[in-house]
Amino acid sequence: MDADQKRASFELQQFLEQEKQKAMLNELVAKLTEVCWDKCVTGAPGAKFSGSESSCLTNCAQRYLDVSGLVVRKFQGMQR
Amino acid sequence: MDFGGSPSSSAASMPSNDVVMDQVKQQLAQQYAEEFFAVVRDKCFAKCIPKPGSSISSSEGTCVTRCVERYIEATGIVSKAVLQLGQR
Repeated sequence: MDADQKRASFELQQFLEQEKQKAMLNELVAKLTEVCWDKCVTGAPGAKFSGSESSCLTNCAQRYLDVSGLVVRKFQGMQR
Repeated sequence: MDFGGSPSSSAASMPSNDVVMDQVKQQLAQQYAEEFFAVVRDKCFAKCIPKPGSSISSSEGTCVTRCVERYIEATGIVSKAVLQLGQR
């Protein structure tokens, strides 16, 4: 490979890595939205979210991630 | 058949990085849109059409419209919540 090809190849690798990270984040948000929609939007959808529906969605997403961390730490503890 | 002998001639016949990157971005966006559509459709059907009739009533139609808007809004709320947690 000449220098130009190396540079182009590196640029492409970086780009693909960035897009992969973006896609993983999108997938996480999509999964959380599905789960939290079911938990928090229980009645008929209104013309806007109530305050409790909004905070439920925020709390749900963040607590889900907290649980994810707790489960990881628990597994790590069990391996020692 | 001539596949091109030297490395530089094969590089010249390949699409540029910009073209490849644009195509990848476009395909990823398309895939995301298709998946998003499918989820919203499924969620709003489940929520708004509990007992399918011989047509969609006006209240069912309103429900679907609102459901789509709320689901998009919910995606934004969850997205913000995730980014906030990442910054703590």
